[in-house]
Amino acid sequence: MRVTQSMLSNNMLRNLSESYRKLGKYQDQITTGKKVNRPSDDPVVVMKGIGYRTELNKVQQFSRNIGEAYNWLDTTDDTLDKIGSALQRARELMVQASSDTATPEDRLQINSELQQLREHIQSLANTKIGNKYIFSGTKTTTPPFDNGYPEPIDDAFFKGIEIEVFSGIQIQINTTPIQLLKDIDSIFSDINTSMDKESAGKLSSFLESIDNVMDKILTTRADIGARQNRIELMDERLQSQEVIATKQMSENEDIDYEKAITNLITQESIHRAALSTGARIVQPTLVDFLR
Amino acid sequence: MRSTFMGLEASKRGLYTQQSALYTTGHNIANANTEGYSRQRVNMEPTLGYPGTGLNAPKVAGFIGTGVKASSVQRIRDAFVDRQYRQETNKLGYWETKSKSISQLEDILNEPSDYGLAKALDGFWNSLQDLHVHPEDGGARTVVVQRAIAVADSFHYIYNSIQQLKENAANEIGITLRDINSVLEQIAHLNYQIQSVEPNGYMPNDLYDERDKLLDQLSTYIPIELEYEKSGGNALAIAEGSVRVFLKLSDGTKVKLVDGKDFAQLRNSGASTSDGLTPTKSVEGFKIVRVDEFGKETVVDKNWNVDIDNNAQIKINQFSNLGKLKSLVDSYGYDINGNQKGLFPENLEKINKLAKEFAEAFNKLHGLGTDLDGDPGVEFFVKNNSKDKEITAGNIYVSDTIINSPNKIAASDSGKAEPGNGKAEPGNGNAEPGNGNAEPGNGNAEPGNGKNALALANLKFQTLEGLFGVSIQSYFEGFVGQLGVDGQQAERLTYNAQTLQQSVSERRSSISSVSLDEEMTNMIAFQQAYNANARMITAIDEILDKIINGMGRVGL
Repeated sequence: MRVTQSMLSNNMLRNLSESYRKLGKYQDQITTGKKVNRPSDDPVVVMKGIGYRTELNKVQQFSRNIGEAYNWLDTTDDTLDKIGSALQRARELMVQASSDTATPEDRLQINSELQQLREHIQSLANTKIGNKYIFSGTKTTTPPFDNGYPEPIDDAFFKGIEIEVFSGIQIQINTTPIQLLKDIDSIFSDINTSMDKESAGKLSSFLESIDNVMDKILTTRADIGARQNRIELMDERLQSQEVIATKQMSENEDIDYEKAITNLITQESIHRAALSTGARIVQPTLVDFLR
Repeated sequence: MRSTFMGLEASKRGLYTQQSALYTTGHNIANANTEGYSRQRVNMEPTLGYPGTGLNAPKVAGFIGTGVKASSVQRIRDAFVDRQYRQETNKLGYWETKSKSISQLEDILNEPSDYGLAKALDGFWNSLQDLHVHPEDGGARTVVVQRAIAVADSFHYIYNSIQQLKENAANEIGITLRDINSVLEQIAHLNYQIQSVEPNGYMPNDLYDERDKLLDQLSTYIPIELEYEKSGGNALAIAEGSVRVFLKLSDGTKVKLVDGKDFAQLRNSGASTSDGLTPTKSVEGFKIVRVDEFGKETVVDKNWNVDIDNNAQIKINQFSNLGKLKSLVDSYGYDINGNQKGLFPENLEKINKLAKEFAEAFNKLHGLGTDLDGDPGVEFFVKNNSKDKEITAGNIYVSDTIINSPNKIAASDSGKAEPGNGKAEPGNGNAEPGNGNAEPGNGNAEPGNGKNALALANLKFQTLEGLFGVSIQSYFEGFVGQLGVDGQQAERLTYNAQTLQQSVSERRSSISSVSLDEEMTNMIAFQQAYNANARMITAIDEILDKIINGMGRVGL
């Protein structure tokens, strides 16, 4: 085949620009840290990449949701604990009041402390997370007690608030002891009306009702504890999921730096070689050697 | 008897011929870097021997050489390689343009990245998840509204950008047609010049080169087929003659575009701008017209081209997938029996479908929920232009009602769970007619209920009938994937065509391009031959000197 100067110089140009293209590709890979930058680089990687991103985003969102669940359950548990202590104190006071040795004056004094406890329990029942009443079911903007009087309740007060903590898995984060709270309140209200009228024997029957509601509080707390455990498990699972999803995404689309840098250096030396051979081949012609 | 001065004549011929070869070498060197130039060679041939034949020819030992003459100057070129080159150029023109169009689409979609539609949809999903955790929170609601606006904006951006690409493609079709028409005219003009030169026995090599360059250019635009017609008169046997250019259709039909000095022009047959070049609607096909000197256009008839019917319209599906013109039309969009096809229209339709199905499914679900006041959800996404039949990616907007009062987002499912109202018991003797909670609407307002928000969030992963049974997420993934696969194919075929074209181009250079070393060698050869001829003349001069001055002077 006949080879001419213009063919040589054209080929040299073409090879050099191809070499630059490869250098550019490696440069892109190293600066962005990604194997692919557009769908046509590798459609499968890109499609998977979109999926993994969504997956990771989901896991992060669920972690955020779980944080909220912790917040609710811990607050509820703590509040019920405080209500329990208040009831404990109320029981002690009732034991004093139902003794035959207590004078009516003593009883009135005890009652005034009991009524303070009632207000305390009411304000505990009105506990808020942010601006949400935790014991109002889904009517989170309505307090269970308003100015010391129980609000009229409807079905919504018994409804659970469920949040998604994993694809398709929902956990109830609120507790709905609204009836229990009302019962407690009515016990206090009954005590208030009967304290100065009834006999000691009659008053001691309140002890039983208090024991009753304290029992119920404990049962409710046991349920919360069980849910807390479940959420902790879910949280651990989510954390490992996040690591897995991040790893998958990275394996799918991130470059291997050792490999990319090695490729770049190899390409660089090829490029140098191409430049130097090009410079040697293109220069001399017969003209240089003719007198 | 031969003439005394015959030797002078033979050597003079040698001088002249070597000189013209030397000049041609100079021409070659001068054009070493001219694009499309083919090296030229002086064909030398010995002049007729002496004596010539005839009755009164002298009886001497026959056919003494009388020198040399330059019979013709020929360019070195291989028509077969040209043909191959043009075939590959056809393919390259098609795939290169296609690859460019697809990569423009990829740029618009901007996937994989943190700024594309997928990311906007993810963000919207996040905000709805947050809303389902904090349904009564005004902040969470505002975020949902803003993220929804971001989703709508992403749709608008894609829609408008594809429209823009379409417009650009239309302009490029117009420019390409103008280029094709201009090339056709130039070829016809060159034909005319060649036809007037050749009958005189000349070889217009530089005109041939010019014409071949134009034919190369034409073959990037459309697939062509050539026929040559020899000139009459005193034309040389190796003269190429005028060229007839045909457009080759997919069924092998040939449509004549240039014939000698006559040429036709291409026009859009469908809706287009007043010059008939830039399409304004999907391309239907092209028509062939002839323009007279007053600029009047007439569609060609059977007298011009025997192969096509009278109306001279070429439907777009008669074009094979070759050349830049067809590729541009494929991108811009074309019309086959009322069906809109093409890269941009089809992708636009896909993104419109996605927007429509997403908005409709979302609205439907939103309508099932209740807002902060217990009212059923209003339309969340609306089309801003009431003239449009349905929601598209271009006209999807978040409804003003929602933007102005984010409390209208129906995050709760209370209406669904409790048809009728809270404690409403009609006819139970109470003085409360109708509803117990004195709340309008059919739902009991439950600010802490975020179930519908969750359902709205997870709509993204639900299969939709309208999207052929896949979810919004996977439909979009499929959309990007399809584009990627097409782009990859176009790139690969471009690369193939480029490699083939390069190797043919290499072969062509190997035959036709100027080698300076070769020219230098030739230069020395011709120069030395010239010198030798001159020396020959000196030698003859010397023998003549002997005859004239030295003879008949015996003893002097």
